[in-house]
Amino acid sequence: MRVLLALALLGLGGLLGLGIAGLWPRPEPQDPEPVARAWGVANAVAAVVLGVRLWDTLFEVLVYVVAMVGVRFFLGGLRWRGELPPVAETPLLRRSADLLLGPILVFALYVAASGHLGPGGGFPAGALLGSALLLLALAKGVERLSQELYEPRLESLEYLAVALLLFLGAVVLIFLVRAPAAFIAANLLIALEVAIGAWAVLHRFASARGEV
Amino acid sequence: MVAVLLSALAFALALFALTRKRLLLGVIGVGAHSLVLAGLYLVLAAPDVALTEAAVGFGLVTFVYLLALRRTGKLVVAASPLYPLFYPEGERIAGLEWEILERFARWCHRDLEVIWVPRAEIPRLVRSGEAHLGAGGFLPNAEPDLRYTRTLVPTRLVRVRGGEGPLGAVAGEPSPPQLDGERKLFEDAAELAKALARGEVGSALTDLLHLREWVMRDLFPEAEVQVLPEELGFAFALNPEDEELWAGLEEFLAELERRGELAELVRRYLE
Amino acid sequence: MESLSALALAVALALLGLWVLVGRRNLVWKLLGLNVASGGSILFLVALSHRPGARPPILGLGPGPAADALPQALVLTAIVIHFATLALALALVILLTERRHTQDSRKLEEEG
Repeated sequence: MRVLLALALLGLGGLLGLGIAGLWPRPEPQDPEPVARAWGVANAVAAVVLGVRLWDTLFEVLVYVVAMVGVRFFLGGLRWRGELPPVAETPLLRRSADLLLGPILVFALYVAASGHLGPGGGFPAGALLGSALLLLALAKGVERLSQELYEPRLESLEYLAVALLLFLGAVVLIFLVRAPAAFIAANLLIALEVAIGAWAVLHRFASARGEV
Repeated sequence: MVAVLLSALAFALALFALTRKRLLLGVIGVGAHSLVLAGLYLVLAAPDVALTEAAVGFGLVTFVYLLALRRTGKLVVAASPLYPLFYPEGERIAGLEWEILERFARWCHRDLEVIWVPRAEIPRLVRSGEAHLGAGGFLPNAEPDLRYTRTLVPTRLVRVRGGEGPLGAVAGEPSPPQLDGERKLFEDAAELAKALARGEVGSALTDLLHLREWVMRDLFPEAEVQVLPEELGFAFALNPEDEELWAGLEEFLAELERRGELAELVRRYLE
Repeated sequence: MESLSALALAVALALLGLWVLVGRRNLVWKLLGLNVASGGSILFLVALSHRPGARPPILGLGPGPAADALPQALVLTAIVIHFATLALALALVILLTERRHTQDSRKLEEEG
């Protein structure tokens, strides 16, 4: 059985190798200059993601939100049965969370806002923000943090961000807006939405014991 | 050149991570592999992708796996049945040790899986790591590389004399030095009881709780019982290299004892 | 050449990931294999975007050939979507473990 699988995979690998060989020599790539200049930004990748292929990006954001809704749905009904074991407080974790949270927040905002000028953009910024929220949860305890953040309000914030993003995308697509302002706004909204979605997942996974 | 080195490193890490036995090592290995992959993207002139891969693949994915691992995982218990410590009741399992283990598993988020084996197999399974714990009708026999928790229920060895014939005992159980000599070994206490009833053995070496089970089932109304002086106790057996499980179980048992729940459970099951 | 070694690595990772996805019995190990395989597919696309002596496709980073921006853009959102589907899959695994107390795919299939 394993032998069959190994042979099948090797055959697949051979096919892939043949396919790669067929790609050589590769054509000259398009110069990024025209694309970037046409959209008024410096980062050609951002120009493609939020400009040329904005339609795809909007739907991928929707896929992300649907996945998060799915996680909420499946894990929402899980209740912890029995007693909660005691929470272990480490001063090291609290102190490092106190020190790191500010810089991470600022850095994430910077990455989001400067996505059209250099590498970065909404997606890594949202991931960074989500990780920062997890760090805060490690320090404070998941239950306390989720009470303080008031989950339903965060959820509606996420959906609001997605709605605004869709609206902005529609405006850009219909009226062919090519200003950097649209890019900045889109990046910030994406960062907000990815971060809240990631926080929802992480906090649902972690809330088994009320502590991460 | 750098790209070739990074590629080799990434593949080595992925191979290492995916061939581990422990899931935790696999997750961390895949996280490290993502980081090296992010470095490779930098060399391949893709800084956006590198940043995103580092933030998502190394950060969020590893967190999500670690958090999910906390709610999954199982505890394998190798047991031989003994009423009222650990015995199958229809489709379910019941008993004093079972209830303790169930609470412990809930406490440390693992799911219990019980495999019923003859008593002599328990040390081998625990030592090889196939089972995390040994429980049930299992008296600690001073096995060299097993670790035992505190005694849950004290007991004593007894010798039940039913007639003439050799001494029978369960394979693997401890035996007092004065009774050394030839004896017939059986897989578990039920076999031993049947042999005693059939007259294949003249007397049987067992302990108080097994004797209680036999008495409750009215197996040997006319047997002569001799209680031996050694004091033993039922406990859980663990692999000594499993520090985490040992610490967790000891802490849990200490807590139970401190709250008096252990004594209450013993009273409830042994009355 | 850099892109060649990266392409070879991508194929190797995809095959390794597929092997683990089919071969291992534990559900979480299968997901890890899928993770590695999708890393391989992402690497494949990024390696295709690379040209010899290329610089990142950002304006103002000097002369010379630039890497192709299109595959990188396609891959950027793909990474985040991989995380989202992974989170959903793990949520289902957690639910399954709560109900069936096992993560072994063979046992799950047997008990229906």
